[in-house]
Amino acid sequence: MNSSPPSRRSVLRWGAGAAGALASVPALTACGQTVGAARATRQQTARPGQKVRLVFWTWVPMQKTVDLWNRTHPDVQVEMQTIPQNVTGGYQKMHASLTAGNPPDLAQVEYHELPSFMLVNGLTNLSEYGADELRDSYVPWQWQQGVFDGKVYTVPQASGPMGLFYRRDLFAKWGIETPATWAQFEQAARVVKARGNGARLCAFAPNQPTWFAAMCWQRGARWVRTEDDTWVVDMDDDLSREVAEYWERMVRDDLVFVEPDMSNAWYKHVQTGQISAWVGPQWGDALLRGNAPGTAGKWRVALLPQWKAGQKASANWGGSSTAILQGTRHPREALRFAHWINADRRAVDLNVSVGYGWPAAAGVFRGSALDKPDPFFGGQRYNDVFTVSDRAIDTSWKWSPTTDADFARLQDAFGAAIAGGGTLTGALADAQHSTVDNLRAKGLKARSAR
Amino acid sequence: MSVSTPHTEKPATASAPVPQPAGRGRDSGPRRGVQPSRILLVALLTVAALYFLLPVYWLVVASTKSSADLFGTFGLWFSDPQWLDNLSKVFSYGDGIFWSWTFNSVLYAGVGGVLATLLAGAAGYALAVYRFRGREAVFRVVLAGVLLPSTALALPLYLLFSKVGLANTYWAVLIPSVVSPFGVYLCRIYAEAAVPAEMLEAARVDGAGEWRIFGTLVLRTMTPALVTVFLFQFVGIWNNYFLPLVMLSDDRKYPITLGLTTWQAAANRIPELNQLTVGGAFLSVLPLAAAMLVLQRYWRSGLTQGSVKG
Amino acid sequence: MSTTINRTKKPGPSSRGRSARPDRAAWGFLLPFVALFLFTFVLPLGYAVYQSLLTPVRSGPLGLGPATLGFAGLDNYALALQQSAFLESFARVLLFGLVQIPVMLLLSTALALALDTLSHRWAGILRAAYFLPYGVPGVIASILWGFLYVPGVSPLTDLLGRVGLAPDFLGYDTALWSIANIVIWEFAGYNMLVIVAQLKAIPQELYEAARIDGASAWQTAMRIKLPLARPALVLTGVFSIIGTLQLFAEPLVIKPLTPAVTNSYTPNLSAYNEAFANNNIYLAAAESVILALVASVLSFGFLSLVNRRKGRDAR
Repeated sequence: MNSSPPSRRSVLRWGAGAAGALASVPALTACGQTVGAARATRQQTARPGQKVRLVFWTWVPMQKTVDLWNRTHPDVQVEMQTIPQNVTGGYQKMHASLTAGNPPDLAQVEYHELPSFMLVNGLTNLSEYGADELRDSYVPWQWQQGVFDGKVYTVPQASGPMGLFYRRDLFAKWGIETPATWAQFEQAARVVKARGNGARLCAFAPNQPTWFAAMCWQRGARWVRTEDDTWVVDMDDDLSREVAEYWERMVRDDLVFVEPDMSNAWYKHVQTGQISAWVGPQWGDALLRGNAPGTAGKWRVALLPQWKAGQKASANWGGSSTAILQGTRHPREALRFAHWINADRRAVDLNVSVGYGWPAAAGVFRGSALDKPDPFFGGQRYNDVFTVSDRAIDTSWKWSPTTDADFARLQDAFGAAIAGGGTLTGALADAQHSTVDNLRAKGLKARSAR
Repeated sequence: MSVSTPHTEKPATASAPVPQPAGRGRDSGPRRGVQPSRILLVALLTVAALYFLLPVYWLVVASTKSSADLFGTFGLWFSDPQWLDNLSKVFSYGDGIFWSWTFNSVLYAGVGGVLATLLAGAAGYALAVYRFRGREAVFRVVLAGVLLPSTALALPLYLLFSKVGLANTYWAVLIPSVVSPFGVYLCRIYAEAAVPAEMLEAARVDGAGEWRIFGTLVLRTMTPALVTVFLFQFVGIWNNYFLPLVMLSDDRKYPITLGLTTWQAAANRIPELNQLTVGGAFLSVLPLAAAMLVLQRYWRSGLTQGSVKG
Repeated sequence: MSTTINRTKKPGPSSRGRSARPDRAAWGFLLPFVALFLFTFVLPLGYAVYQSLLTPVRSGPLGLGPATLGFAGLDNYALALQQSAFLESFARVLLFGLVQIPVMLLLSTALALALDTLSHRWAGILRAAYFLPYGVPGVIASILWGFLYVPGVSPLTDLLGRVGLAPDFLGYDTALWSIANIVIWEFAGYNMLVIVAQLKAIPQELYEAARIDGASAWQTAMRIKLPLARPALVLTGVFSIIGTLQLFAEPLVIKPLTPAVTNSYTPNLSAYNEAFANNNIYLAAAESVILALVASVLSFGFLSLVNRRKGRDAR
């Protein structure tokens, strides 16, 4: 293709830089250069009277909280930019900006995503800026999500303890008791199918591996652990298989809708009562309130159904932190903001109103906006349920640094299984293999647990 | 229009009274009576028109609805129209970011289209008129460029632009947009046919320099091809999604296409964005659809040149 | 004028005796384009090839410490070709193209031929209606059709449901064809216009002759117009093949609506997710290079096949 010699003399301004990039091809001079974020964090010394401007990417609509900060902190102004939710485009943007060397100062990063950001050196080591002192302001297990090799890399924001959202009016109409075990849940599904005139108890969302992971988490599975320098993958264990078989039966017996959750089709079913229950996270309250306002007052919340009667096992779905990305020029100011938005009482109250999740800040629940009877849930103090749920979460669960790729594969395999091209258990086995492959493809040591 | 006019306009009038072979003995079966087959033809064409217009019609209806009605009422009929209210929300949401997106789309497509046309015009003209070493080689490389899918290049471009610090700048979308191998191809073929050697010779005898000849005589002669290249490129840039998606991370630099998908992706957290996406789609489709209709004849006249050589 | 003469000829290297001014002027005109062409086509491809040969080397506890770049040889290519999902994505777009392109071109040709028999005014209005979707960007077209596909929201499933049909536009077997429908909707009118343009360029004498010979409208269309529209069909065919391999925006927008559309549904989607979601830019570079290669082979292959046939027909 290089057949036209005169054009080599590029007159363009960028020509030099580009030629530099090309010149390195034969010599492979890049070997040995560092991978990941193109720009490293460095504190810019602020001139007196100079305003610091921070850019904050998030998909949680917390503009009001940011406005409050901007009113009360004239010297550090934060511009919030709404980005697509997590893997639907948000992380793609973050990684692209890290590679290009123009990341935002702060960004919403979920707990399960933190290891992948570590892999590309995408997070600022906050211990250098005094983050360790903030430790006691947060719930220990959530704080630990952002600690790698003893150093702090993010400020935890919120988690997603799970519960059972259900329509009390419809349950009453069909004569269903609130299910306390998964067996009762299945029974309820059969009743709804029989009496519901086309309705189903809930939906199985093959697009939501994070939800499925939470189900396995509740059952007691541990998908990833580490031994010395090696990642050990254990997704295809007996406990996870039991969960997969359960939902396989629900799908096969046509007891659930099979559709992406939090999609227009799903919301339509929620609005019209075709769906009467959701095994969802605490932050789902805002989604129901916002997307199905017509069902106000009819919802209630109960603890997750259990695998054995009398147990109190729970799980977590989602959970986010406010990360300070590699490359910021204002790590101190960014850390101040990140701490404030997640731990200040007024900030937490505003965040709660938009469904940001279960606060990672310690001891803010009592007297907060969460600690009130809610008319949408018929006056129930529904967050008391999530308080119990939160305490019951086994916090030793770990995430792999290739979670996105692993879950993408799991999602695809679930899709194929639903289409008749396999089973949910088969999807787990497939994901087990591909996760090991993904880790190795990244240059990490990994092995399968079985 | 000088060259192509005779070929496009004449048949347009002549095709009106296309022969109706009424009662021809050779005709068999259903075609014997002409009327039914003609009715059938018109019916099929009308069905096709309905198919092409249906989503646009749905969009018009949907853009008048409230968020609740969007999902709660029948999609193909109006319900409690609140059109102005919806559209003003589109413009005011997020500090009027929709204005930025519109401006950016116009900037990318307009500036990119004009520059691409000029570059393609000059290159096509040079390839058609001059004989020099490497001419065929250049043309072959250009042809290869036509055949290479642009999105296969977007990712490599992103890697390169990140390296030289151009990612997430206006240039990142503009620079690749001004390169149109297809435009060069069209312009070369058009110039070969439409720029008479005698005209160039006469101008040279008069002492005009090559650039002056190009700037005055040639550009005017090539106008129909240039208009086509511009339209082609304008629409191509306007509709482009992959390139801005990988290149841009700052939403103030987004074109409309990218902006609207951002809204759509965020709609499950902020339900009102569903309505805004629909309203924004309506606003963005309107001007370009209108332009398509008005400029239809340019497409036809110019494309003849390209397709003939295909 | 000269157009008619030239139209029958291929633009050979020395088809016209032009002035042999110094090369300098020619390169002057060519330089801006060629420089940018190198910068946006050749250089990125070269850089992608280079990147595709690299891989990160990890260090630190659990590999989460700093990493450096190392030479990987063809490992990334091997890895890409081992991924069944990536290979399946090629098979999928090939299947897609094999069905969608003929259907679309058939529709475009039928519409063009049918419009050619209508009165000027009606043809104009209908042609405008068919062409309109070309002005709708692919993502927006996908958003629109997405609303028309989702059960419970779509007026189409609503209407068809009342008649007793319950189409599932987003099912595993149907999603690909629902995407094909979007692509057809977008481009059928444009391709029709190219063919119409070609038909308008056919000398009227041919029609006259056909009429005198007593050919019916159907026969005229099949025996005269269709063969003469061939160059336009070749052009639209090539562009459709290129377009099919680029398939990206439509499945990306439809993806959230259905689990049938996977993360590596098309080669482009796969490379995009590899680069940005999975952060394997080196593997993604290899996938991009493979895609560019396959695309070039296919479109060049199609062109040379057509040209060879043309040569044979001429003999």
